Amino acid sequence: MIQHDILIIGAGLAGMRAAFEGISAGLDTAVVSKIHPLRSHSCAAQGGVNAAINPKDDWRHHAYDTVKGADYVGDQDSIDLMCSEAPQAVLDMDAMGCPFSREEDGTIAQRAFGGQNFPRTAYAADRTGHAMLHTLWEQAIKLGTKVYDEYFLMKITTDGGRASGAIVMDVKTGKLHQINAKAVCIATGGYGRLFASNTNAMTNTGDGLAHAMRAGAAAADLEFVQFHPTGLRNSGILISEGVRGEGAYLIGKDGQRFMQKYAPNKLELASRDVVSRSMTTEIMNGNGVNGGVFLDVRHLGRDLILERLPQIRQLSIDFEGVDPIDQPIPVRPTCHYTMGGIRTNKMGQSEQLQGLFAAGEAACVSVHGANRLGANSLLETIVFGKITGKDMVDFVTNREGRERPKSDAGDVQEVSAQIAQLKARPREGGAKQSDIRKYLTEAMQEYCGVFRSAEGLAQAMDAVNRAKADMQKVFVDDKTDAFNTDVITALELGNLVLLAEATVMAAIERTESRGAQSRIDYPKRDDANWIVHITSTVDPNGKLTLGRDAVRTVDNPQYAPAERVY
Amino acid sequence: MQEQTVTFRILRGTIVNDKLVQRTQDFEVPCDATTTVLHALEWIKGEIDGTLTFRRSCRASICGSCGMYINGRSRLACKTKVNDILAGNVAKNIAPAKDGVIEVGPQRNQPVLKDLVVDIEPFYAKVKTLDPFVQDGPEKDEHVTKDSFSQVNMVSNCIMCGACYSDCTAMVENPDFFGPAALAKAYRFVADPREGNKTERLKELSEKNGIWDCTRCNMCIDACPKGVAPMEAIVKLRSLAMEAGITDNRGAKHAMVFKDDIATWGVLNEPFMLLKTAGVVGALGQLGNALNLAKVGKIPNPFPFDHKVDKLDEVKAIYRELQENPIDVRTRSDDSGPGAG
Repeated sequence: MIQHDILIIGAGLAGMRAAFEGISAGLDTAVVSKIHPLRSHSCAAQGGVNAAINPKDDWRHHAYDTVKGADYVGDQDSIDLMCSEAPQAVLDMDAMGCPFSREEDGTIAQRAFGGQNFPRTAYAADRTGHAMLHTLWEQAIKLGTKVYDEYFLMKITTDGGRASGAIVMDVKTGKLHQINAKAVCIATGGYGRLFASNTNAMTNTGDGLAHAMRAGAAAADLEFVQFHPTGLRNSGILISEGVRGEGAYLIGKDGQRFMQKYAPNKLELASRDVVSRSMTTEIMNGNGVNGGVFLDVRHLGRDLILERLPQIRQLSIDFEGVDPIDQPIPVRPTCHYTMGGIRTNKMGQSEQLQGLFAAGEAACVSVHGANRLGANSLLETIVFGKITGKDMVDFVTNREGRERPKSDAGDVQEVSAQIAQLKARPREGGAKQSDIRKYLTEAMQEYCGVFRSAEGLAQAMDAVNRAKADMQKVFVDDKTDAFNTDVITALELGNLVLLAEATVMAAIERTESRGAQSRIDYPKRDDANWIVHITSTVDPNGKLTLGRDAVRTVDNPQYAPAERVY
Repeated sequence: MQEQTVTFRILRGTIVNDKLVQRTQDFEVPCDATTTVLHALEWIKGEIDGTLTFRRSCRASICGSCGMYINGRSRLACKTKVNDILAGNVAKNIAPAKDGVIEVGPQRNQPVLKDLVVDIEPFYAKVKTLDPFVQDGPEKDEHVTKDSFSQVNMVSNCIMCGACYSDCTAMVENPDFFGPAALAKAYRFVADPREGNKTERLKELSEKNGIWDCTRCNMCIDACPKGVAPMEAIVKLRSLAMEAGITDNRGAKHAMVFKDDIATWGVLNEPFMLLKTAGVVGALGQLGNALNLAKVGKIPNPFPFDHKVDKLDEVKAIYRELQENPIDVRTRSDDSGPGAG
């Protein structure tokens, strides 16, 4: 058995930032990742990271924009913490060597992003996440951080009511390892692959979230799934909001802008949920082409496109066959981000499962509430990676975490049996994982997407139930041990099925429209009943139960719910 | 491109008793104009054969997982359109596929673990030995301006996909060569004003397996899917190293002798050049090579007499021009360019 003080699952920005704190404090810290750290999906974040670093800006304005953007179900203590810590978190990254773009005078350049009243988005060209991820990886090498590359999470283990570590599979050999740790942090990102059209990496299957729920942690806000307005029409690949920040227009089939109908002030830079609904409405009303509308940057001119949006231009050429210098880019709303995650306090600690922490998209510290603002996700990873990392250090050094929990060898046998059972299933009469993935993700897209209704959600639940039944007979072709990606994708699908059920249940439960949840049968926001988080827990038999958790507030009258107008 | 069935010839591999056993297997895959090689591989894995093994993640040419050898060059499967390979694409520097077959194999210069998956450890081990992080030191300049990272940006486009490493010809000769990606990463730090040990880095990079081991064959520039142009970064590192006076090595000496020969005679004097670059002992070590070359008539007259071009003054004019207007090699990121495949 392997022992560490702190075990972090996931080597994206949040995980690596948390690891930085563990190592810096001199604790034995290890990171497990199913892919090489530089492959983590953090690298795909393009536009930037919000922070009130300009002297004319104020973190309180950033916090206000975030509370409003979250449609008043974000936790205000977490939001205040994130926004007040944001400038230092960005400057930390700068000091580590992240090549942020600069103004003439050498200060960090900032651009406008949606739903905010100040251009406070720092960036490194249009590959901000990539630059930040490489920077944190560089730091991990500098500090000698132990990273288990290509190890797949099989189970979060517990000792009584306390997280005790994890069972992981070395992908290269198929060998199972038991890792015991005093604190475990889930930083495995989101589960956007649950939707047929998405901007996410194929590895974004919510493994850590699903396993944390099975281990006894609560999830929250799962009904809030962000559809990014501008995914490429064919592939769903992301075109950054930064493009609209630079002045791009959304136009319909008729070549005319339409956002003035929906957000007369902010237009294309309204909050993401508003823009996605507007686009979907235009498409449904026949102002689209092949299920998409267009993002037009031609008026920005060749020089600006080449200087500030080189990657965007390349993605459009590579994946859509369109050079944005000459033609508008076909786009449509595409699943982008899952606001929900492991429910934690503002330090990133689960209150249901002691010793379990979460940071980044996998967590629900709830800074995003019902709708995330662009460039607040990179910010969440570096702020809460840092805060959660420090809190784990404190937990292990000064609190209950000083005592090492026990690991149970029976867990390895259980996981081993699970894999053996999967491999033993015959193809004949079995269910093919590609089939399950297809009908499940398509049902989620259609019935649990930008617009929802009780009727549609019932259809989505039918698909979930069918998937649950099919997972009992899913088979794999690859029966070997080494680099068995057939087994891994089947297990990832199992994680997605659990998250699908929880997401649909929460979407049914919330009988109102708020942020990313838009119920056509309940079109109004219902502040009297629904300023609350819906939580989801799994009992030992795998049964999902919903609960409620209060939205954490601070005494700030500016945060009182008001109509969201952009 | 109409919807059509395309043959994928995939080099599969398994380790049997610690030895790699490879075979090709054909799959018939329905493709249309938008199908990428990754789409096709996913289709094969999902519909036909779940044992087919490859890495992939982002689908958007930013994570670097799906580097593989596709029709004669390392490419990212997610970025490579089947149609471009079949019909060729001049803008992307792709020649049409022979026989209309898409050939997919693992990247080269690295041990194969299974099918299209290679062991990336040696690649990353080399990057790590170059201390890939900004260091404090005497040359640190905290003052940055708008243009401070113009040299950094292009090389920091690198996604560590290994395409350049796979197709590097110098690596074939010297498996210990750091390789294009690691050296481009090193340039990222040398070019960063905040780096404190630029000269120290240049010294290390000028040693064995470093910048002077590159043969400047251009393969890394062709293979790079992100327009990083690692070889240009290597050339920059060489210039910077020589400017910093780090010339006590074969590579730098070779470059200087090369330059002097041309400036003096307008043509190379190869035997003398070897002597000046490698010294007497080193040159004797190359005697076997020299004899082989002489056998096939590739050793020119070693004497400097008669060894001069006609219009030497024009050669000298070129040197003067370059001295007055030095060329900046392409390491700036004004346009990431169409990339390769």
